[in-house]
Amino acid sequence: MKFLRKNQHALLLKIALAFIIVIIGYLTTMFYFELKNLNKYVSSIANSNEIQIEFEQLSSSISNNENCLQSFIISKDSSYLKNHLIFKNQIKNHLIGLHHLRIKIPELKQKTDSLNKLINQRLYLFDKTLKTVTNNNYNSKLQNTKLLESSKYNYYFQNFIGKIIDQEAKKVLFEQNLQKQAIKSLTETIFILAVLSLLIFIVSFYKMNFDLKTVIKANYELKFLNETFRNAELIAGLGHWEVNLKTKKYSYSDNYIRLLGFEPENFDSTLKNVSSYIHPEDRERMLKLHQESLINKTPTATVTRFLVKNEEIKYFKNVGNFIKNSKGEDVKIAVSYDITHQYLNTLKLEESNKKLLEINAELESFNSIVSHDLQEPLRKIQMFISRLELNEVNKFSQESKDYFQKIRVSANRMQNLMVDLVNYTRALKGGKAFKTTNLNELFEGIEEELSTNIEEKNAILTIGKLPTLNVIPFQIQQLFINLITNSLKYSKLNVNPKIEIFEQKLDLEEIENLKSDKFIKIIVKDNGIGFKQEYAENIFLLFKRLETELSYAGTGLGLAICKKIVENHQGHIKAIGNLNVGAEFIIYLPKTV
Amino acid sequence: MNQDKTPMNILLADDDEDDRTFFNDAIKELKMNNKLTIFKDGEELMDYMSDPDALIPHILFLDLNMPCKTGHDCLKEIRANPRFKDLSIAIYSTSSSEKDIEDTFIGGANVYIKKPSDFNKLKKVIKDVVNMNWQYHTSGLNKETFFFSI
Repeated sequence: MKFLRKNQHALLLKIALAFIIVIIGYLTTMFYFELKNLNKYVSSIANSNEIQIEFEQLSSSISNNENCLQSFIISKDSSYLKNHLIFKNQIKNHLIGLHHLRIKIPELKQKTDSLNKLINQRLYLFDKTLKTVTNNNYNSKLQNTKLLESSKYNYYFQNFIGKIIDQEAKKVLFEQNLQKQAIKSLTETIFILAVLSLLIFIVSFYKMNFDLKTVIKANYELKFLNETFRNAELIAGLGHWEVNLKTKKYSYSDNYIRLLGFEPENFDSTLKNVSSYIHPEDRERMLKLHQESLINKTPTATVTRFLVKNEEIKYFKNVGNFIKNSKGEDVKIAVSYDITHQYLNTLKLEESNKKLLEINAELESFNSIVSHDLQEPLRKIQMFISRLELNEVNKFSQESKDYFQKIRVSANRMQNLMVDLVNYTRALKGGKAFKTTNLNELFEGIEEELSTNIEEKNAILTIGKLPTLNVIPFQIQQLFINLITNSLKYSKLNVNPKIEIFEQKLDLEEIENLKSDKFIKIIVKDNGIGFKQEYAENIFLLFKRLETELSYAGTGLGLAICKKIVENHQGHIKAIGNLNVGAEFIIYLPKTV
Repeated sequence: MNQDKTPMNILLADDDEDDRTFFNDAIKELKMNNKLTIFKDGEELMDYMSDPDALIPHILFLDLNMPCKTGHDCLKEIRANPRFKDLSIAIYSTSSSEKDIEDTFIGGANVYIKKPSDFNKLKKVIKDVVNMNWQYHTSGLNKETFFFSI
């Protein structure tokens, strides 16, 4: 996205530049033609001026000539005639000048032709008059006629010249106007050109400056990164190397050499030398793998043993991959890091894990021995007891009957103990089958299981509305069975046991203790013999029993199982005892487990 | 069922001698009109079952932990044979492990009995199972009622 925007930016810049270049080209062409025009006007004005001068001088020469003639006629002084010859020459010179101008300016041809004719006629007339005057048979009448003719001619001639000069003056005026306009538009063109050039200069300068800054910054960052990388390699115990697939040149980072136990300054960084430090058992396989990867260009990930300096074995993890360098050549880059420490730790961990698994398996078989193999003979003992009880017990002596009764009670106790032990190990293992369960529905099974017990004791069981929770159903069932069994067991003699199970809201103190309000609180309350509050913690310990009388026949496991189950659910259980009044068990279970 | 007319044919396969005695005694004391055949292990049972001339039993009480051919093996073989599709199989074991219950339920047993530790209870169990409404028990495949509580 960013790249695209950058690209668009560059394209825009290029278009703008091309546009400006076209404009400048156009303006320059305009400038050239305008300058050419101006030049034309200037030379045209110069020509007109020259024509005017020539004509004026011609006119004055002719006038002078006229004067000379008249002066001669009046004074008869022949020295005037000398001047006449000078002016005649001048006229000829001007005519030659006009002839040159005529070559330069073709339009002048007609005018000079007429002029030439006029001058020739005038000079002819002049000579005639002079002849008449200098003739010995002087005829004043003829002389006057000639003079009159001259005078007329003179007037006509002056008129002709005056007209031409006038024309040229007008032309000069007109062209001067055009010249002014040309200068004005030229000025404008120059101004725009200057502004545009300045603009290009400023933009280029800004852009160059910006690019330069970017390059400097990138350069700095690269340097910084390089330095950071070098340090990071050192700190992280990393090293890297690369090989150019085209030039076959290998290069190793300084820290890679250090990983091998050498200083980069005096190490021969060649593949051959580095390979010699691979553990001999791994070397061939590693080099083969590497060469294959160079052919297939597939990434590699290996763990290799190295025999570094001082014959020490090190485990390197190597990860290699392929990239293209700026010239488009394939380069394999590999990063290696020393995992010796982790590797040895992992080996140790694996070892202890294996041992743990063995111990677990032993426990499992112990559990199966308790649950099956030990129960089998016990069950038979009980079966024989029940057979004797039905058929033979009446034949026993009183003493035998007592002994027999004790055997029966002990066998039952042993069975209870084993059932509880199995339950305890099951709670320890903690099956993770959590299920959203309505606790009230669980109580259907619980009541069924305890029905004989409840009937025997004439107990009243009250169950309030209980929540639906995500729990391990069989464990929670076990929890309540154990708690109710406990209440039934420790009931007062001759008092109907009353057991209430209900949910209660957490109070503020409890929320503070639990550090959360996301708990459900369920209470199991009885009217049994209770206990002293100081023993409240002890009752959850394995094989801890508060009552020693045989009439309260517990295994010491029931409440320990309860605690384990509640802990499996990330909950808490506590007991509140009131001697001879009753006990209260409070269970906190998280709303979401 | 028709126990009043033809005797009910009951089989028991159990490797434990005492258990066989208890079972036999219980049946005798119940005085029901039935014929009990007892096998000492799985192989003996399967030999009998594979005899085409033998009577097809009504109920088989099958112990799980037996040498050589276990109760699981027998269950599998019997359920693979369409000849015994109407035979009711009651697992009769000391074990009450979830795995055994689950496996035999899936294997096609009809009811699971944990061997009781009281002779009166044993009699009650046998009586209940023999008089059970098998129609209901076989069709439903109900896991809740599979484990027979005494």
